[in-house]
Amino acid sequence: MSSVRVASLVVFAACALWGVGCGGGGSGGGAPPPQDPFDTQEDAARFLTQATFGTTQEDLQVAMALGREGWLDRQHDIPMSSQVDYLNALGQGTPAQDRRVEGWWQIVLTGEDQLRQRMAWALSQIVVISDADMGENAVTYGMANYYDMLAENAFGNYRDILEHVTLSPVMGRYLSMVRNEKADPAENIRPDENYAREVMQLFSVGLVMLNQDGTAIIGTDNNPVPTYDQATIEGYAAVFTGWNYAGIPSWNNGSYRNYIDPMEPNESFHDTNEKTILNGQVLPAGRTARVDLDSALDSIFNHPNVPPFISKQLIQRFVTSNPSPAYVRRVADVFANNGQGVRGDLWAVLRAILLDDEARNGHVTNPTNFGKLKEPLLRVTNMWRAFRARAGTTGFAYGRPERDFDQAPLRSPSVFNFYRPEYARPGEIANAGLVSPEFQILTETSIIGVTNQFYQRTVEGYSGAPGTNLTEILLILDFEAQLAAAPIALVDHLDLILLEGRMPGAMRQTIINYVDALPFTDGGYNRAAEAIFLVVSSPEFAVQR
Amino acid sequence: MGRRQALRDRREFLKRCCSITAGGLAGFYGLSNSLQLANAAVGPGGEDYRALVCIFLFGGNDSWNMFVPRDAVPYGAYAASRQNLAIPLANLIQVNTVSPAGSYGFHPSCQQLANLYNSGDLAVVANMGVLLEPTTKAAYDARTANLPAQLFSHNTQQQHWQTSRPDSTERTGWCGRVADLLTSANQGAAVSMNISLFGNNTQQTGATSLPYNVTSRGVPTLDGINDRNTINTIRKQAFESILNMSHQHRFVREYANVQQRAIGLAETIDNELDNATPLSTQFPNSRLGQQLEQVARLIQIRAALGVDRQVYFVGAGGWDTHGQQATRQPNLLGDLSDCMAAFYGATVEMGLEDNVTSFTASDFGRTLTSNGDGSDHGWGGHSLVMGGCVNGSRIFGTMPTLEIGGPDDTRGGRLIPTTSVDQYVATLARWYGVPQGQISTVVPNVTRFATDDLGFMQLIP
Repeated sequence: MSSVRVASLVVFAACALWGVGCGGGGSGGGAPPPQDPFDTQEDAARFLTQATFGTTQEDLQVAMALGREGWLDRQHDIPMSSQVDYLNALGQGTPAQDRRVEGWWQIVLTGEDQLRQRMAWALSQIVVISDADMGENAVTYGMANYYDMLAENAFGNYRDILEHVTLSPVMGRYLSMVRNEKADPAENIRPDENYAREVMQLFSVGLVMLNQDGTAIIGTDNNPVPTYDQATIEGYAAVFTGWNYAGIPSWNNGSYRNYIDPMEPNESFHDTNEKTILNGQVLPAGRTARVDLDSALDSIFNHPNVPPFISKQLIQRFVTSNPSPAYVRRVADVFANNGQGVRGDLWAVLRAILLDDEARNGHVTNPTNFGKLKEPLLRVTNMWRAFRARAGTTGFAYGRPERDFDQAPLRSPSVFNFYRPEYARPGEIANAGLVSPEFQILTETSIIGVTNQFYQRTVEGYSGAPGTNLTEILLILDFEAQLAAAPIALVDHLDLILLEGRMPGAMRQTIINYVDALPFTDGGYNRAAEAIFLVVSSPEFAVQR
Repeated sequence: MGRRQALRDRREFLKRCCSITAGGLAGFYGLSNSLQLANAAVGPGGEDYRALVCIFLFGGNDSWNMFVPRDAVPYGAYAASRQNLAIPLANLIQVNTVSPAGSYGFHPSCQQLANLYNSGDLAVVANMGVLLEPTTKAAYDARTANLPAQLFSHNTQQQHWQTSRPDSTERTGWCGRVADLLTSANQGAAVSMNISLFGNNTQQTGATSLPYNVTSRGVPTLDGINDRNTINTIRKQAFESILNMSHQHRFVREYANVQQRAIGLAETIDNELDNATPLSTQFPNSRLGQQLEQVARLIQIRAALGVDRQVYFVGAGGWDTHGQQATRQPNLLGDLSDCMAAFYGATVEMGLEDNVTSFTASDFGRTLTSNGDGSDHGWGGHSLVMGGCVNGSRIFGTMPTLEIGGPDDTRGGRLIPTTSVDQYVATLARWYGVPQGQISTVVPNVTRFATDDLGFMQLIP
């Protein structure tokens, strides 16, 4: 793409955004200058790969016009897309779980609130619920509502998320806090420890004490120092007693469900004994379920592990599997205090993650290790967004992506997500002391399945391809087909939009030669699809830098 | 005892099981000797073939309800502890136990397991769990015991189970270390000694060997990248040329390695599976049943894969019965029972019931106490071992006192294991062919326990 053309596109984008100053001379004088401008389109494309579900030509123009900070500010104010709204529009009463997954596709592929949704996606892999264990249709709205809650709070405060998660009726069911009752020694009944354990281990503080830079604190016995023990878990298990579905007519009513409204307390079933929780804090006897809960969540939220524990996982979801301890500390510091004395400000955290020097330049300073294996679904969304994927005749009808990609929203095999943050691929990666979470679901079996998916969804999956199924999500390749008359132009475009301009020379030449040898008979569509397949199935595309 | 085995000349049977011990003895004289012995057997997949099948029950099996004492005193303790979780005495399926003395029964949904137990092809290993050293209640209470880290937590206990060395930073699993040790037993094999039907797992990950992953649907092969027509061939050349480039980034390189390995293996295995005669054994249509059926099919093509030793890993989820245990557990245990029986039937059909040993694993046992309608994370629990070489109809280890505040109870009905997973693993590994001198490489902490042979596998003294 020539520089002249880029400039005109940028002006066009700025006009579209502000609708001013673009009448006559084309000076563009009315648009504010970009804040923290990108040096190159490739830089902007890299940033968008980190911050969205995939770069599009249009987003690239907007990002160039706005700069990093300008783009972030704009994303902050875009209204949220809602899965519940999507389900409501279907008007199906009790929609199947696949419908909410289809809603997810529509939102991440076409919604403008890309950063918010990407954050919700990251959060959904930390505060995990899954319909793998509760897949009936009655839960669909509750699952969608939970995901919407994450999107609503994506730029909010982590303390609020902890509370919404704790009182969520679907979480209550998933980790059995709903109807958790106080001890009954006569019947050998004790409070359920499920949620108490996981809220600490996975949603907040983790198993071992951390330094602010995310590294483990090593005790005098040369082992990591545990964050809590079984007695702490029992303390929280007692705290989380007495909650049930909102509006339930009686405590043990087995048929009543309310998967939407936050759970409500029933003091008769709340444990009112004294409780010892994190850091030896003691909650006095005789308090209500609500007061106990507030204190308990405060104690968790204020634990020093929370900033590095959550910050590092967010960095792993957005930028790189192996952030330097210094990078983790910089973000964790912002988590602990956003500069105005507020702890847990996720908007500040997200800015700190994406604007950090390591996020910007890690690929240059650490070219052999920086980045991450893309999550399988992000590889698909990257491709579909890049080529304007269009809903089929029945919408984005792809409700079971886990069958092809081992991943689907709110559908991990367990509360431990699709992969663990500390998973290290044995061999070269583990030997280098690196972790590689997403490699945990990359197997010799899944990689073939994924490659086949990319084949079917490119060479056989664009609008106009011979024999396409019109109910499928299809690529729209009009623009790329035009470029395909000159394979070099086509490959340069794919390099920018899919690989941020980092395509190795040998790969570039291989694709150019391959496309050149294909007949140019259908207006270039087949050439474009074939070239896209070779890029999206490549090891280079699989790894975000 | 297996059907075929019962008919077989006892001496012949002993001779075959004996070859393992021969390997074990040779181990004293060094690894290479023992491996030569192992390799001296008939060709790949022949008479000397041996497979271990790990059935991992993710979430923590409430095994106190799977296998229950029926005599008045222990049952009384069980019923008093478990309250609304207890299985009524009359509903237990009574089985004949050779040793120890006493009457025991299986959960009412486990008829098939009871049958296997009665026919001598299934044994119970009682109150087993992860331990760093023999642990008494006194030491536990006094906090002087060296305890596994993060007791009662799912993934930490799974990791301990799978690695047997939670203290190590090497992150290798015991099946992986077995494969590292015995690689030459599968010389020239097309595929890794470890095959997983349940995705990547630490248990099968060695320092140099990784598990090969298959699904119950088989191995997919590449569309559009093959030699079925000219365009596919040309596309394949371009695809492979990109794959085979030298890659600077470690992750890119690893991705390319996986893709390359996958393509080669998929073609081989897919062809062999297509050509194999279908088994007549019917498997349950559950996730576990389908995995075990695929294991049986893969064992069928063992000769073509060039393997003499194989470790399979299958998994089943949903065992974390914090809630609705009374309705969930019959389905879980019933499926396990039916699937294990079907798999045993398939090994009989292949004439391999003495060559294949299956065993269960789980995060931990569960609390004796109820949380209202379920149980929580515990520690010790019972496991099952199945196969023609298993000393069936017996309980190994020590049945615990199922009493709250009893001699085995940490408190809250979490029982301290009296048998270590390391001992269980050592017993299996020896049968599999790991030389005696290498057992402590597989499970280093086993030397802290009284024996590294629990006796549930038939071996010649």
